[in-house]
Amino acid sequence: MHRARCNNAVVSASSSRPKRSTRLLKAGVVYIVAILAVGLAAGGRPNNLLVWTFGFLLAGLLVSGIVSGFMMMAVHAVRVEPRRGQVGQPLLIRYEIANRSHWIPAYDLRTDERVDAAALAVAGPAWIMHVGPRERLHAEAVYRPLRRGPVRLGAFEVTTAFPFGLMRKSLRFAQQGEVLIHPEIRPLRADILARVTSGGVGGQRLSSRPGGFDDFFGVREYRPGDSVRSIAWKRLAGTGQLATIERSRSVPPRVRVLVDLRTPTASLRVTDGEDGRALEEQAIVLAASFLALADRLGYEYALSVAGFELPPVSLRKGHFHREKLLSLLAAIDLDAPRGRGNGLGASEERATVVVVHPDRTDLDIAPPDAWHFRARELQSLVEIAVAAAAAGAEART
Amino acid sequence: MRLLRQYRFMSFVLVLLAIVAFAIAELDFTMLFTGVVLAVLSWYVTEGPRGRTLPPWATNILTLGALGLAALDFLASGGLADAMESLGRFLLWLLLIKLFSRRGERDDRQRLSIATMLVLVGCLESVTLAFGLLVFAYGGVAAWTAMLYRLSHGAETARASRTAAPGFAPPLELAYGRRAAPQFRGLASVALLLIFAGSALCFFLFPRFGKVRLNQLVGESVTGFNDEIDLRRGDRISESRREIFTVQWIDPAGEPVKSARPLLLRGAVLDRYDAAQERWMARRSGAGTSTFRTPVDGGAVSLLRTAGEPPRPPFRARFEMRSVASEELFSIYAPVGISTSVPRTISVDPRTLLLRDASLDRLGRPWSYELLVQTVPDAATLEDLSLGRREREGRNSGFPVPEVAGIAREILADASRSMNVPPEPGPDATPAERWTHGREVARAIASWMRSRFSYTTDLSMFARVPDEDPIVSFLTRYRAGHCEYFASGLCAVLRSLGIESRIVTGFIAMEYDESGRYYVVRESNAHAWVEVRTGEHAWTAVDATPEDSLLEIQDRNRSVADRFRWIYSRLEFLWNSNVVAYDSGSQQEFASRMRSGWRDAITERLESVTRRMQDVAAELSLGQAGGFWFTTVGVCLGAAGLAALIVVVRRRRLRTALHVERLAPRERRRLERHAAFYVEAVRTLSRAGFEKPEHLSPRAYAESLAKEHPAVGGAFHPIAEAFYRVRYGGHAPDAGEANTHLSLVLALRDALAHNSRPFRAD
Repeated sequence: MHRARCNNAVVSASSSRPKRSTRLLKAGVVYIVAILAVGLAAGGRPNNLLVWTFGFLLAGLLVSGIVSGFMMMAVHAVRVEPRRGQVGQPLLIRYEIANRSHWIPAYDLRTDERVDAAALAVAGPAWIMHVGPRERLHAEAVYRPLRRGPVRLGAFEVTTAFPFGLMRKSLRFAQQGEVLIHPEIRPLRADILARVTSGGVGGQRLSSRPGGFDDFFGVREYRPGDSVRSIAWKRLAGTGQLATIERSRSVPPRVRVLVDLRTPTASLRVTDGEDGRALEEQAIVLAASFLALADRLGYEYALSVAGFELPPVSLRKGHFHREKLLSLLAAIDLDAPRGRGNGLGASEERATVVVVHPDRTDLDIAPPDAWHFRARELQSLVEIAVAAAAAGAEART
Repeated sequence: MRLLRQYRFMSFVLVLLAIVAFAIAELDFTMLFTGVVLAVLSWYVTEGPRGRTLPPWATNILTLGALGLAALDFLASGGLADAMESLGRFLLWLLLIKLFSRRGERDDRQRLSIATMLVLVGCLESVTLAFGLLVFAYGGVAAWTAMLYRLSHGAETARASRTAAPGFAPPLELAYGRRAAPQFRGLASVALLLIFAGSALCFFLFPRFGKVRLNQLVGESVTGFNDEIDLRRGDRISESRREIFTVQWIDPAGEPVKSARPLLLRGAVLDRYDAAQERWMARRSGAGTSTFRTPVDGGAVSLLRTAGEPPRPPFRARFEMRSVASEELFSIYAPVGISTSVPRTISVDPRTLLLRDASLDRLGRPWSYELLVQTVPDAATLEDLSLGRREREGRNSGFPVPEVAGIAREILADASRSMNVPPEPGPDATPAERWTHGREVARAIASWMRSRFSYTTDLSMFARVPDEDPIVSFLTRYRAGHCEYFASGLCAVLRSLGIESRIVTGFIAMEYDESGRYYVVRESNAHAWVEVRTGEHAWTAVDATPEDSLLEIQDRNRSVADRFRWIYSRLEFLWNSNVVAYDSGSQQEFASRMRSGWRDAITERLESVTRRMQDVAAELSLGQAGGFWFTTVGVCLGAAGLAALIVVVRRRRLRTALHVERLAPRERRRLERHAAFYVEAVRTLSRAGFEKPEHLSPRAYAESLAKEHPAVGGAFHPIAEAFYRVRYGGHAPDAGEANTHLSLVLALRDALAHNSRPFRAD
């Protein structure tokens, strides 16, 4: 199998030949019954127009099979897989349909993905009206991710009912793939992080940027490797010694989100009617929402997961950092055995720690100045307008 | 997209075709007019952004109303054939209601299904050429529309699935490649061609077990001729101008002439009257029918048993079929020989001297045949033709309606005043004298009827009198009718008087075409007359119908369209003989022709075409130069077709090469006219191994060429610049500039001739 990366997607092409199948549709069954009826009528009375009509209908059935068969013979499809999706957001899966025939165009092609229905729901299949001979087209199908985690994409089918809709011819392409679905991100109230980080967990930091854009901090002796643009030229002129100007810049507030998943699902303390696994998922959603909010506010943020061994993540900001942390959350396998570590490590970073608990608060997991949230509080933290809209939609439903 | 927009229009055309086809099948022009007007109205009312449709409750009420009407119609008529007609009318109304109802995908499916069912019901009702052509057209349009429906349905489904999740899924962006519409046309045309070929194959091979009697199948809709007379019908007879055949009356010297009297062409002899059913019928003919096989070379076969030539050189009657393809070979009384255009088996009934095509094979019914006829046949010839069988005396006399006897005596008394013979033959009269007397009486009564009775084809004004035979009503009460009543009245009177007589039905040839020197026989020339026995084997025709009235009707209905009607009539002949009448015998012959080899079939077809051309040459009076003119016209048509094909292919190539398919037609034509030199230059480069990559613009390609091959690039560069001026600058070069462009292409060729290194642009 050949794999090639393309921006935000992975193209996998299978060299194996697609499996072909033909299925008679309901319209085809009705059509065959009509053929038999006309055939009986034609045989029962000397009416050659009925005989011709019978022949026309019969030939239509045969030609339908021939045309669609020749059409699909040269069709080849490749799935251009997305690398990641997110619960609650449309997942676009693109297909590259190639018609290798020299003469015969292909019409009315549709793709059907064989996926776990609990993980992905179809919101709009890919439909290609026409692919000319020796042409290559892209079409996209829209899916609705239903749960977090990796979703395996198995075989997919390219089908057509052209020309008469009597039978459906399918090509099954066995192309394995995987999409990582990020947890859902709920729009939290923007003032939450501002409140928990008030008190100067930000501060000043020596700037590594050359030039005079940042504030003056001090002067030190020149060290090889310092930028020429940082040299204190006036001092050099006065003393004849090389010195380097140090500058500082303000640091945004820093937040480390800690998800407490040490307790196995079965041992969670839940009330009647509550599902422990759902609470854990809700905790992950809350953590992901905190990360997204921090990213939106321009904070530096990091993630720790208590109970699972994750690679250490330092405080950063930016799109790729956000995606990396969400991927870590997406990849958490709640069925795996849990550890007892708090995931914070021994680093002495200065950051506000926000702890998210699935069931109840455990103050021992984090420093005393940490902020603790429970999964059940997710709804109350969501922006009022969005919550109202969601409640309205639910009421309408 | 344009391709998807076509679906609406094509589905409308399909429905319209179904309505027209059914109305033609029913021969109901009120239905045709109403249906077409309502269908066209529905297009204007329901289509477009401001289209209005009937609410569902109104649709349901109208549907129930149509159902109720159809049920009442069925209960009033009864019978399976009428049930089909009622069903068809119901489907028609349903279709019209559906045209005004909402336009959903399900409604589209229903409309197309109802239209197809309507055409199928029409197939059970009619086999005429017009309906057959409409069914063919419907089949093609239906297949085309079904393909368009797949695309339209696919797009609608994909759009609907996106809009089902509003705000979630992005709107559908249709994915289609270049030239979707032309390629669809090509694919659909090939599919249609395959379907028509498959249906033709199925038509030829479909197992058939019976024989088709054309006249029974299509009845009087094919020809006015009927092999029985039903006097219960009191409706108006349509005076159809459709040509049935032409007859050329050729004298013994070989010259086509006009006969002094109208030619009576016999088709059936009716010698039995059923008073209960009020209908004249043919008595079942016994054994003794003799058969003859006409030779392959088109020569005549003698119908006489005795060898040798007939005593007098006969006249010839050459029949050219125009529309009807029947088993009856219409003939003038007592034919002594026959020749056919294709070898056929001919049977002769010795009692009636009627001819019939008795060939087992039905393909290629005789297009033309020629009869050898003696205008006044002698007794020996008639005895020979009758195989010596003498008709029992008195068999054709006496009439089952007793009231006619008294009327006959009164008529005879009135008519005898103008007769040269006494009303009754003498008691010791010989049979010959009785026959002569009977002929004179018949002529006198016929003359009497012509002078006192009036001719009309509209019997709807005459009310039927209960418990009174229609012949009695005709003779005593109304004294008006058409030829069937005149013949019935005369025959009934003669039989009541003891004079042997019988009715003959067929055609009367009276419209003589002076330019073609033949008689044109139309459907309205169907006729009935009486034959009176005048010898052991001899019968003499006596016609009581006023000839002037027939001529007057003939002249009254004459129109300009008659000059062109023969074209449709010929098509109808082909249709009837090769499609409608294709039965098990035709199938066997087809199989034997297949076995005998294609070479024979092709040779036969060529000969047939040659004969047709000769016929057309004779028709157009082209004389000996006909072959030359045909060849000239053929060559010219072939050359014109080839030139048109070359132009079309060249234009298509130009459009593809210039990528101007989506431009406005006017701009496209401009570029096709002025930018052809550029395409020629690119093609020249391609032939020399300098393939122009698609992604490079002409100027960039010229520069990349110039880097490695300065001469070639230099020669191509001015061509590219000129192309830019024409393509994007809207420049229309005059003749001088066009010549310059051509010289640039020639210069490029020269440059390429001195450059042999292959080149591949990046």
